[in-house]
Amino acid sequence: MFYGNQTQFDRRTFLARGSQTAAFGGIASYATGLAAIGEAAAFESTGDYKAIVCVFLKGGNDHGNTIIPFDATNYARYAAIRGGDGEGGGGIALPRAALANTVIDAPEGQTLTDDIRYALAPTMPRLKALYDSGAMAPMLNVGPLVAPLTKAQYQSSNHAANPRPPKLFSHNDQQSVWQSGAPEGATTGWGGKMGDLARGLNANPVFTSITASSNEVFLAGQTTTAYTVSSGGAVEMRPVTQGLYRSMDAGDALRQLITAQRNHVLEADYTRMAKRSLDAQAFVANALAPIELSTNFDDPAGNNRLASQLQIVARLIGARQALGVKRQVFVVTTGGFDTHDNLIDNHGGLLGGIDFAMDAFYRATVELGIASNVTAFTASDFGRTLSSNGDGSDHGWGSHHFVVGGAVNGGRFYGTAPQVSIESDDQVGRGRLLPAMAVDQLASTLALWFGVSPSELPGLLPNIGRFDGADLGFMKR
Amino acid sequence: MTTDTLETTPGDIDVAPQPDRQEVGGRHRSHRLNAGVALAGLAVAACSTDETDELLITEGQKPTSEAEAARFLLHAGMAVTGDNLSAVQDQGYERWLSREMNAPVALKGTEWLTRQGYDEVNEENYFFSRSIGDNALWQQLMTRENGVRKRAALALSEFFVVGLSALNYDWRSQSIVHYWDTLNEHAFGTYRELLEAVSLHPAMGFYLNTKGNRKADPKSGREPDENYSREVMQLFSIGLFQLNMDGTPKLDGSGNPIETYTNDDVVGLARVFTGYDLDYSGLDYKLRPGSTNHKVYDPAYAQRPMTTDVTKWRWPARSSQHSDLEKAFLGTVIPAGTGPEESLRIALDTLANHPNTAPFFASQMIQRLVTSNPSPAYVARVANVFADNGQGVRGDLKAVFKAVLLDEEALSQQTLASPTFGKMREPMLTLAQWAQTFDAVSETKRYKVGDLSNASNRLGQSPMRSPSVFNFFRPGFIPPNSNASANDLYAPEFALLNESSIATGINFMMSVIEGRQWATGDIKVSYAEELELATDPQALLDRLDLRLTANQLSSEARGIILGALQSRNVDAASSDTDKLRLVHTAVMLIMAAPEYVVQK
Repeated sequence: MFYGNQTQFDRRTFLARGSQTAAFGGIASYATGLAAIGEAAAFESTGDYKAIVCVFLKGGNDHGNTIIPFDATNYARYAAIRGGDGEGGGGIALPRAALANTVIDAPEGQTLTDDIRYALAPTMPRLKALYDSGAMAPMLNVGPLVAPLTKAQYQSSNHAANPRPPKLFSHNDQQSVWQSGAPEGATTGWGGKMGDLARGLNANPVFTSITASSNEVFLAGQTTTAYTVSSGGAVEMRPVTQGLYRSMDAGDALRQLITAQRNHVLEADYTRMAKRSLDAQAFVANALAPIELSTNFDDPAGNNRLASQLQIVARLIGARQALGVKRQVFVVTTGGFDTHDNLIDNHGGLLGGIDFAMDAFYRATVELGIASNVTAFTASDFGRTLSSNGDGSDHGWGSHHFVVGGAVNGGRFYGTAPQVSIESDDQVGRGRLLPAMAVDQLASTLALWFGVSPSELPGLLPNIGRFDGADLGFMKR
Repeated sequence: MTTDTLETTPGDIDVAPQPDRQEVGGRHRSHRLNAGVALAGLAVAACSTDETDELLITEGQKPTSEAEAARFLLHAGMAVTGDNLSAVQDQGYERWLSREMNAPVALKGTEWLTRQGYDEVNEENYFFSRSIGDNALWQQLMTRENGVRKRAALALSEFFVVGLSALNYDWRSQSIVHYWDTLNEHAFGTYRELLEAVSLHPAMGFYLNTKGNRKADPKSGREPDENYSREVMQLFSIGLFQLNMDGTPKLDGSGNPIETYTNDDVVGLARVFTGYDLDYSGLDYKLRPGSTNHKVYDPAYAQRPMTTDVTKWRWPARSSQHSDLEKAFLGTVIPAGTGPEESLRIALDTLANHPNTAPFFASQMIQRLVTSNPSPAYVARVANVFADNGQGVRGDLKAVFKAVLLDEEALSQQTLASPTFGKMREPMLTLAQWAQTFDAVSETKRYKVGDLSNASNRLGQSPMRSPSVFNFFRPGFIPPNSNASANDLYAPEFALLNESSIATGINFMMSVIEGRQWATGDIKVSYAEELELATDPQALLDRLDLRLTANQLSSEARGIILGALQSRNVDAASSDTDKLRLVHTAVMLIMAAPEYVVQK
């Protein structure tokens, strides 16, 4: 069932471009208006391939032990709040000496709040090396905001004048808010909306947004729907391809049954999914077959499912020409970050898994010669409290994150370093950070790099105009 | 094939407006509640417009056909067996259901574990095994006894979620299986008792961190852990938004939903759940073989309710770790200095008596057992029973589950014909149904089924293996760009369905049905009665259609299946292998059919 010869691709690409007027007509209804149509050509002028990969850390990553104060003064504040004993660790504080090998210093000319110096968690030496080489940029205190907000405004009872993101501190809702700007129940995310704008460039638009994990709202647009792969690629439905209990007739009957036209809404969605699965499987398998990477994705520390997911994403990117795609958004996920308990025992290993997987992925894009066309970023439900609940931390708001790729202006910090405090004005109690950088700004900077035009941004990120700067400069353009 | 065929247009199906869809649907669309707590879906034509109408079927009412009886049995339990089919036809719905609900538990999961010798401390290190927990739960789901109770308990396990994957302590399997037993024990008791049993269970204590949670310590800056406090409100009782009794959201003056609690309420309630730890009193231990210091205590330590009595802890504290501060939440104020028992009583009373709890709980039980999109009137009928069982008792779960299962919307022919009624069968229910229908046995008696969560090479779901406290799927999930979304319908279970898992699931069930060891371990079925019909495909199809789908296969589907069976050319002279393959084919085709996958 190979249906992607080159002639067809060219024809389809042409048709796709020819139909962009209609496509963008639809988009204009949620974008700013006619200007968007005029500037839609931005995607076409950058004809090469680009991909954005969201690495979602489920549960709310403890940013406090991910990017850690290292200078003596700020470390002492950190240790005191986290129940540490001097510089020796204790409570949920890491010992200071353990941080010495993963210090990431701001470059000449960049000074952070209270002259803070940071180190990465000791289990993240590879991301430190990527920082040093300029391929990684830390985002400080980023989180969902509707508009810039001060602590006084947050505490004000006038929520209409001082809007907050909905359902702060709730896992499922803040996962959704990060991905879509709205709490659980949202049906489109900013990755999928970028896909809506870009899918016209893809000969096979079905592969515009892909998850190697769960179906996240990030990937859904008005017309874009996530395609799911397993770590091995597309799963073959054996009774259809090889026969059902040694009968090809019976296997064909199964195919007929599960792809039949149904009038019941849910049955129709089941048969629709069966069709999507059957139609794409052989094509994806053929496209992936010749793509072998020498980059090692086997984590010596043990089973690393994030690395397996990023490996299949790298292979799909390697197969981009056969798949007929020029713009893609991906999601991979990893869990276990809801560290209310046993933070010290568990968190370092989780971060080590991210460190290995994101580094391997970056090196795979180098191997594929496409490092400057692929950008990965981390996201999570929320940051956590700086103060301890005994042996863990509780749900917070703003957090620190990473952007990795060959097009990243790395080796420096973005955003504003928060004070190391549970009383300062950049937190709302127990060290729950009040974000100074909006997720919308992180998203808009990535989107502009991806090829979205400035006037199209409000369609993706309705509140972007309320913030100072839609391009934070962490992407080379 | 062109590339376009990959892009399936959403909204292929647009349901013709039902009589009062415009108003209800429109109201729903503009105020969709994100957490899915308000299930104001399409108004189903069959439902009453008067929300207070008592639509429970009358006592003594009997199914008018085998198909009606089978439909009811597949809502109330997990399988149609010959016995329960005739019993419900003889006794009528309500009488049969009452008998099932009143039947004592035949075999607890923990009793089964003990019977297998899994409580022993030996070289097998059972105390650290998760697979014996998986196997115990499959044993419970694959055997026919207490079908109604187990079905309710499984639904409760998807509401009061604990996930085995996240449990890391000695006897974690004995602990979670005891939690399962606890759900069974309280399934037809009261919500308030169940809420307390769940809150104090060690499995929940480990999962959401009440175990070892201590009062604030101003010196170190330590604060109480907020995890259980938050999730007990968001997920186990009241939900995020204020609800009407019919599950629709209450709205403020500007037309926005009203949140039920703030972070201050979370902080206040968190103090209630301080000072708890595990009860080791009087328990003996054995050393792990080969270890000089790893004390493996009696499994009871991971099963007894957590206690605030510090003398019963493994390492007794000098004084109570329960917060002495005032505990303020949801308008309730527990004065400073109130002790742990009294604080817990007041807190759980507050949650159980909150007006939201009835519709929040009712709507999700309807979704698990009957339909993803109940009418507001259906939700209201069940919620009203939750509020008062008719004898002044609130949260009588026996009455609540009866109201769910005996509602006209669950039983009527009109809903059966509706293009929006029903739900996707969860994969774990499909496997349990297969095992119960064909009376599976475990050859070693150990039910070596294991964790089937992997969606790349297994079933894609396993009991009590939810990846998080948010269950396998959310009640308000709507698949993006789908027919469901085009029709404004929830489809929670579709969160499990994607291009990869649909193929994996079919591959897995294909191997299950023919008894491949890699798929079902030592579980075997004989298909003895089906084999007798191998030379009569029509009769075989009739039998299986009734038992597996309550005769819900379409005539088109039956035609396709019959054609496939006939193509196998089995006659009396055929080999046993060929006859068995024909039976396997029939079972597989039915269990893959859309009319089976979407249970009405």
